[in-house]
Amino acid sequence: MPREAEPSLNEKQFLLQAIQENLRLDGREPDQYRPLGLTFGDEHGVADVTLGKTRVLARASAEVTVPYADRPLDGVFTIATELSPMASPAFEVNRPTETEVLLSRLLEKTVRRSGALDTESLCLVAGQKCWSVRVDVHVLSHDGNLIDASCFAVVAALRHFRKPDTSIEGGVLTVYTPAEREPVPLGWLHSPFCVTWSYFGDEGETALLDATRAEEQVRVGSCTISLNRHGEICQIAKLGGTPVDALMLLQCTSIALAKVKEISSLLDRKLDEDTKQRNKGGRAAELTAENDR
Amino acid sequence: MAATEQPIVLPGDAIDPSLIPTHKKQPLRLGPGLRHIPPSYIVPTVAGQLVTDQKKNSMWIEYNSTRYIPSANDLVIGQVQRSATDLYYVNLSPYTSNAMLPHLAFEGATKKTRPQLAAGALVYARVTLANRHMDAELECVSATTGKAEGLGPLVGGMAFDVSLGLARRLLMARSREAGGVEVLELLGAEGLAFETAVGRNGRVWVSSDSAKTIVLVGRALRETDEGDLGVEKQRKLVKKLIRGMR
Amino acid sequence: MAISTEPEAALSVLPRADGSAKYSHAGYTVTASVNGPIEAQRRDEHAYEAVVDVIVRPAAGAGGTRERHLESILQSSLSQIILIKNFPRSLIQIVLQIESTPENDYVNTKLVQASLNFPIIPALLQTAVLALLSAAVPMRATATASVVAVVPEGQTKRMVVDPSPRDLDIAKSVHVLAFTSHDELLLAESEGDFTVKEWDDVYETAQRICCRPATTAETDMAIDDEAAGPDMRHFLRSTMETKIAADLHWK
Repeated sequence: MPREAEPSLNEKQFLLQAIQENLRLDGREPDQYRPLGLTFGDEHGVADVTLGKTRVLARASAEVTVPYADRPLDGVFTIATELSPMASPAFEVNRPTETEVLLSRLLEKTVRRSGALDTESLCLVAGQKCWSVRVDVHVLSHDGNLIDASCFAVVAALRHFRKPDTSIEGGVLTVYTPAEREPVPLGWLHSPFCVTWSYFGDEGETALLDATRAEEQVRVGSCTISLNRHGEICQIAKLGGTPVDALMLLQCTSIALAKVKEISSLLDRKLDEDTKQRNKGGRAAELTAENDR
Repeated sequence: MAATEQPIVLPGDAIDPSLIPTHKKQPLRLGPGLRHIPPSYIVPTVAGQLVTDQKKNSMWIEYNSTRYIPSANDLVIGQVQRSATDLYYVNLSPYTSNAMLPHLAFEGATKKTRPQLAAGALVYARVTLANRHMDAELECVSATTGKAEGLGPLVGGMAFDVSLGLARRLLMARSREAGGVEVLELLGAEGLAFETAVGRNGRVWVSSDSAKTIVLVGRALRETDEGDLGVEKQRKLVKKLIRGMR
Repeated sequence: MAISTEPEAALSVLPRADGSAKYSHAGYTVTASVNGPIEAQRRDEHAYEAVVDVIVRPAAGAGGTRERHLESILQSSLSQIILIKNFPRSLIQIVLQIESTPENDYVNTKLVQASLNFPIIPALLQTAVLALLSAAVPMRATATASVVAVVPEGQTKRMVVDPSPRDLDIAKSVHVLAFTSHDELLLAESEGDFTVKEWDDVYETAQRICCRPATTAETDMAIDDEAAGPDMRHFLRSTMETKIAADLHWK
């Protein structure tokens, strides 16, 4: 059973008072993200994201399997999040806490249900063989805002991942090893990101972006908006908490769009740098097969 | 107090017998990080620098960590969890078992006039009893003089977490010369008005009329701790923070 | 993909854990976090000792029986070097996150669930020891480990230290040995067909790697042979010295 360390009365009161005066403990603006860092692993599909002191590692992998009986033309795509005591001693393995369930559900809605990954492109032989893509999200350090960091890590890992190339001749499927043919990227349609706002005050009148753990513990409500850089909203989740003024919510959404554009271009830049680094020999041009969108 | 040689040791290392101080009258005292295996082995249990003090005939390992283990006579900042019939349960570090603070262990306290502490309140206390088999015990009054001497409930303000090494350096009598930390004095010299209490369990309480001041002190402490800043860099940090404030 | 032959480590990489370390060697990268001594759950606590809880999380996939096996091996080894009697009714929680394992480029690997148990044990143990040192959990000694495979070569066999996945496929037996800093054998696990003489050779090889005494640079290069691996003790000591020097910069 998790025994979460509660902040003291002094801390709670001070945080709320400081927020009323527009002060955050680390000197940030109310709508400012902590420094967002992204490193890719040597293997394809490994993304290490740091958001201040929060650190999330996402790893994409794929294997050939049998498709679901009711979806013979689609591949399988799963996102697994399991919080371990590495993130905080309050978490236990195999005992999902509310944080874990919410994180899992939000990632599901944002990345899976919005169709970011084209599952039809994962089909190999209709009804018999398909790719099963799996993303494992490991939270290494929890200092607030796991949702935004995890979503960013998942999207980065999937866009970085390369699955083995295949070909079908006369009904026989051949899967090529990386040594035989260069692996190919996944069929990617759009990149959604999550932006989480936290509300403070008796009427939820102050909104802060990217709350640290200490700020999360004293907030009265939160809202996660998932959208891509074209302004298409995948989902908005405000699960309980103090009611918030509707106009404020609209404002939060439009600021979220601006942030997502920044995050999206950061990801594009990092992916480009990574590609350049890997393909110093100049083979990159022959191998791109991804849709530009 | 520069010793001749201050070797870095790992747990289980053999200690060169010539480094062990001797004294005609006082017995050898072992500080943190060392254990005694009778009859004559002294072995480090953590990784750090071996420090000896010839005058006091003591030796210990100097190291930094973040997990506090209660030790008698330490001044600590605890958080009240709940109240029982005649004592408070006070937590000294996250995820550890609670220490006990009797209701009457305050200056001039009787059953009718004792301080009433709510859950979540902070207290500045001294550890009276700490051993591995029992929960620690605290007091907010000096047993000898009956005076509080700065101990007791901490009202208002904000508590920040620091590493145990920095807390120890802040508590040193001459924190600048011996501990290499001057950041609080520098902030005070720039005209900020605040008061602090430092707990050896890695917590620093800061109180001021201005919330901005408290935030600034908190940031100064955190950056000094995380960046391993020396006195020179602390000066630059303070100047930068003050500039940003104005 | 170049596999590093020299081990690398970084300490205190996770800001919110009591201690942490990231270690990579021979293609394995593991990050470990240590929390403790903290309060143990009632059902787990031991009256006179601390409970050491090890959790191993694989790189991809959910953990299974293989991870439980690794956890029990590590738990019994680490309980012997941590001073558990100092902290009755407490818990020392060690989480090991496997980040990467060496890929076999020539075989199309299906999602492999840590089936290569043995070769990862030294990396797991080493990362755990570094994280425990970073957390300043009192220990009676440090430990170093290595993995040796007995690979057939024509009519004879040779000892391969830190075998690659190809070596492991053709090896007749694989052994993991760990030694404490007092030269005591802490852990010995073997798999495959081997003779007592082969085990003795493996023991000597592993001992040479794990227990090389602290000598100056000139004298210890007399050890030749292709089985010479990195000097683990020296590596451990120099990693810690760097960290301690940084911690005690104010002295």
